[in-house]
Amino acid sequence: MRPSFFHHLHPPSIPARQARFRHTLASGGLAVFLGLVLGITGILEIFYYIPTPGEAALSIQTLTFLVPFGGLIRNLHFWAAQSLVIVSSVHLLRVVFTGAYLPPRRFNYLLGMGLFVLAILLDFTGYILRWDEGIRWALVTGTNLIKSIPLLGKTLYGSLVGGTEPGAATLIRFYGWHIFGLALAAVLLVAWHIFRVRRDGGIAVPPPPLRETQERISRVELVRREVLVMLLASVALLLLSVFAPAPLAPPFTATSPLPESVRAPWFFLWVQELLKLGSPFLWGVIVPLAILALITLIPYILPKPIQSEIGHWFPKSNRLAQVLFIIILVSLLVLTVLGLLPVSY
Amino acid sequence: MRRLIVIASALLLLTLLGIAWLESRHVIPVALTPSLTGQVEYCLSCHGDLPEIGKSHPVKSFGCVLCHGGERLALEANLAHNSMRGGKNPADFSVVQASCGGTICHSGSTEGYRDHIQRATTSIQATYAGAIASIRYTFGEQPDLTAHLGTTAIQDSQSTSGITSLEVFNPLLETNPAVLAFGQTCLTCHLFAQPGQTGGRYDHFTGCTACHTPTQSSDLTSIDTKTATQVHKLTTAISYAQCDTCHNRGNYDLRAITFQPRQDTPTDRLHDYYQPIAQFTKCEYTLDCIDCHTRTEAMGDGNLYSNKKQIQYIQCKTCHGTLTGLPQTLTITDPNHIAFRQSLLNPVIELKPGDNVLVTEKGEPLWNTRLQPDGTYELVGKATGQVFPFKPVMGSGCTQDPDDQSSGSCHKCHSVER
Amino acid sequence: MNEPKLSRRDFLKLTRTLLLTASGLLGLGGLIRFLSYPSQPLAPTEFDLGPASNYAPGSRTVLPDVPALLVHGETGFTALSLVCTHLGCTVESQPDGFACPCHGSRFDLLGKVKRAPASKTLVSRRVEIGPDGKLHLFTN
Repeated sequence: MRPSFFHHLHPPSIPARQARFRHTLASGGLAVFLGLVLGITGILEIFYYIPTPGEAALSIQTLTFLVPFGGLIRNLHFWAAQSLVIVSSVHLLRVVFTGAYLPPRRFNYLLGMGLFVLAILLDFTGYILRWDEGIRWALVTGTNLIKSIPLLGKTLYGSLVGGTEPGAATLIRFYGWHIFGLALAAVLLVAWHIFRVRRDGGIAVPPPPLRETQERISRVELVRREVLVMLLASVALLLLSVFAPAPLAPPFTATSPLPESVRAPWFFLWVQELLKLGSPFLWGVIVPLAILALITLIPYILPKPIQSEIGHWFPKSNRLAQVLFIIILVSLLVLTVLGLLPVSY
Repeated sequence: MRRLIVIASALLLLTLLGIAWLESRHVIPVALTPSLTGQVEYCLSCHGDLPEIGKSHPVKSFGCVLCHGGERLALEANLAHNSMRGGKNPADFSVVQASCGGTICHSGSTEGYRDHIQRATTSIQATYAGAIASIRYTFGEQPDLTAHLGTTAIQDSQSTSGITSLEVFNPLLETNPAVLAFGQTCLTCHLFAQPGQTGGRYDHFTGCTACHTPTQSSDLTSIDTKTATQVHKLTTAISYAQCDTCHNRGNYDLRAITFQPRQDTPTDRLHDYYQPIAQFTKCEYTLDCIDCHTRTEAMGDGNLYSNKKQIQYIQCKTCHGTLTGLPQTLTITDPNHIAFRQSLLNPVIELKPGDNVLVTEKGEPLWNTRLQPDGTYELVGKATGQVFPFKPVMGSGCTQDPDDQSSGSCHKCHSVER
Repeated sequence: MNEPKLSRRDFLKLTRTLLLTASGLLGLGGLIRFLSYPSQPLAPTEFDLGPASNYAPGSRTVLPDVPALLVHGETGFTALSLVCTHLGCTVESQPDGFACPCHGSRFDLLGKVKRAPASKTLVSRRVEIGPDGKLHLFTN
C-alpha cells in the first residue's frame, strides 16, 4: 500500500523512543485534534448562534434544547475548548521538561507561546458570547482591566468594547474576534508551528551516537498511533459532553438580578485571586504578563539544556527551568484552588 | 496497534449509538405560541398535564411565561425555572407587579376598580395596619389608633383616608414585650406572609392567590385528611373555607399575647363556618363570605386605613332594605359593565342587559343578585350556585328599630341555634 | 486445515473500516438532522384580509403580503397566488394577465401560462368569510 497524503504530512520515520506515548503524552497532536474539533463544532454553532444582546443567550438555548444534537455540539465545543487549554499546558510542560526548546526549536517555542495565548483568548471570548447572567462581571472587569493600562488604556478599551461601556457593539466585536480574528491567527500559527516542527528535525532527540537505540517507527505506524489517540479522545469528549453539559444561565438583560456566584471562568480564577491584592494594572496586567514573559523567556535567559540530554524527561542541565516552571505552575494551581473556595466576607 | 484501533473504533461506534439512543429518550418539545406574547414557549413539554388555570386566563392567550417568568426555550428544569417569579406563586406580592401588572392587566385605572394590585397591596388584609395599630395603642406604644406601621413600607400619595404612607413594622425595634411578642407570633395572617403551618386546614398561598387559588374545599367529609392542595387554579368562586384559612380560627388572649385555636371538630357547614361563640343568621351560614362582602371590602378601595371597620360597610339592609325602603337596585345596560364581566367569569347567574341587580350604598353592584320582574328578589351563591329567593323587610312582620341597622339587632331574632 | 481466506491483518482492517464507516454514517445522519432544524418561524398560512365589505364587487385587489390577487367576482371571492410557478418571483399585474419580471413568464387573467419559461398555472388560493364578516385567505 502506498502511503497517502496524510501519511506524507508526517516524516518518513521518527525515533521509536521519542514516539512513545509516555514521552510526549500525545499532547501536541491532541492539541491539534482539539483545535479541529473546535473548528468543526464552531462552524455548526455559527448556523444557530445570533450575536445580539437580545438573542444571544436565547439562540444558545434554542441550539441546546431544540436543535437535534445541538446540545451535543455545544458541549463538544465547550469541552474541547477547556481540554485544549489543559492539553496545551501539558504540551508546554513536556517541551520544557524534555529540553526541546534549544535552537533551532527556540523560535517554534515562541510560536507555541503565541498559540497558548490565543487559546486562552479564544476561551475567554467564547465565554463572553454566552451573554448570560454568569458572564456579566467577567465582561466588566476584563474590559476594565484594559482601561487600567496607562496612556493606551482608553484607546484599547474603545477598540475592544466599541463604545464607552460593554453592550451590543462589544458582543459583535467579540464574535468577530472569536470566529475570525483569533481563529485565523491560530490557524496560521498552527500551520507555521507544525511546519517548523518538521523543518527543525521533528521530535527533539539526542544526537545519534548518544541514543540508547537507533530504532525508529514508520510514518504509517505514527499515523496509526495518532488515529488511536483521536478515536479515544473523541470517545472521551463525547462522554464528557453527554454527562457534563456546558453551563448556561438565563439571558443577561437590563433587569437581570445580580448573579449569586461571581467566579471568573476557571482559567482566570488565578487572576481573580491576584486582583484581591490591590491595583488592577499591577496585579491584573503587569503580573500576568510578567509570568507569561518569564515562561516565554525560559529558552533565552535560563541555563540551556545540553544537546546530549534533550529528548529525555528531566535533563539535569536545565533543572532551573524545570524548577521555575513547577513553581509557576503550582502557584497558579494554588491561586486557582483558592478561587474555587466558597467566598466568605 | 491495529487491534487497539479496532477496539477504539468499536468504542466510538458504541458511544455514538448510545448518544442516538439517549437522544430518542429526550423530552419531546411541545410548542405553544400564546396570542398575547407571540413568542414560542416550551413549558408544556413537561407540564402538559397541568390543568388550565381557569377561563379567565386561557393558556392559548397567556401561555405560561407571561405570568410565571422562566426561560421559555429551556427543556432542562434548572435553567427553565431559574428566572421564574415567586417560585410556585407568581402572585406573591414581592413579584406581583411583574407577573400580574400592566395597564391592560391588573394595574389598570381606578375607573371600574381595574387597579387590583394597588388596591390589594394597600388593603388592610395586606398591611395588617389595624392589628398592629391596636396592639401598639393598647400597650401604650402609640398615642391613638391611627396606623403608622404596616407589614411593609407602603406609599399612597392619592389616599383620601388621611394616611398616605406606612412604615414597616419591625418587632425587633419595639421595646414593649407584649408588642414584641405580638410581632413574633401573630404576623402569619396577612397577605404578604407565609401561613404559620403549611399543609392542612389553614394552608394558603400569599398575595392574590391567598384568596383566588383554592387550597381548601368546603367539603367537610375530607376535613381530617385535608392536605394543602397545590391547585393550579384561579377562581372568583371563593368558598368560605378559603377565608377560614385565616378567619374564624380562634381567639386572641391580649394579656398573654397568645392565640387560642378553636377546639371544636365540626362535621357540617353550620358548625364549621364560624367559631362556636359566634351568633349568625341562616344566610350567614349558607352563603359564602363573598356573597355579601364586596370587592372593596375584601380587596380594599386603594386607600390606606387604620382599621377594618373603615372599609367594611355591608349590612343586612343592603339586600333586605329597611321597614321604609326597598333595597337599592341598578339597571345594567352597558355590556361592558363590571357586573356582566364578573358574571361571565363565574356564570352562576345569567345576567342580561336591562336586568336589575342590587347595588350597595357605595355603588358597587351585587352582580349575583337580581330583582325579578314580578318584584321578588333572588341571590345566587357565587361558590355554591344555590338560588335563594329572599324577601325585603318592607311589608313584612319585622319589628326592627329603624335607627339600629347593625347586624347585632337583626341577630336578636334571626340568629340560628346551633 | 484450510488456509484462511482472510488474513488477520485484513480482517482487522475490514472490521476497522466497517466500524468507522458505521460511525461516519451515524455522524452524517446526526449532522443532517442538526442542519434541518427550522430556526425561524414558519411562514404564516392564514391571512386576515379585513372586512369583506372593504372589497367592492368586481374589484381585483393585489395583496402584497401573501402575495395574491383577490377577486370579488359574481360568484363570490376567489384568489390567485402571484408567486410565479417557475422560480418564485412575484408576478406583476397587467391589463391582460400577469408578467414575471425575472425570466419573462407570462400568464393570462386566469393564471394559465401564456409564455415560458413557466409551465404551471398560477395556484388558486382558498378564501373564506368568517362569522365576523372578515375574509381569510389560506395558503395551505
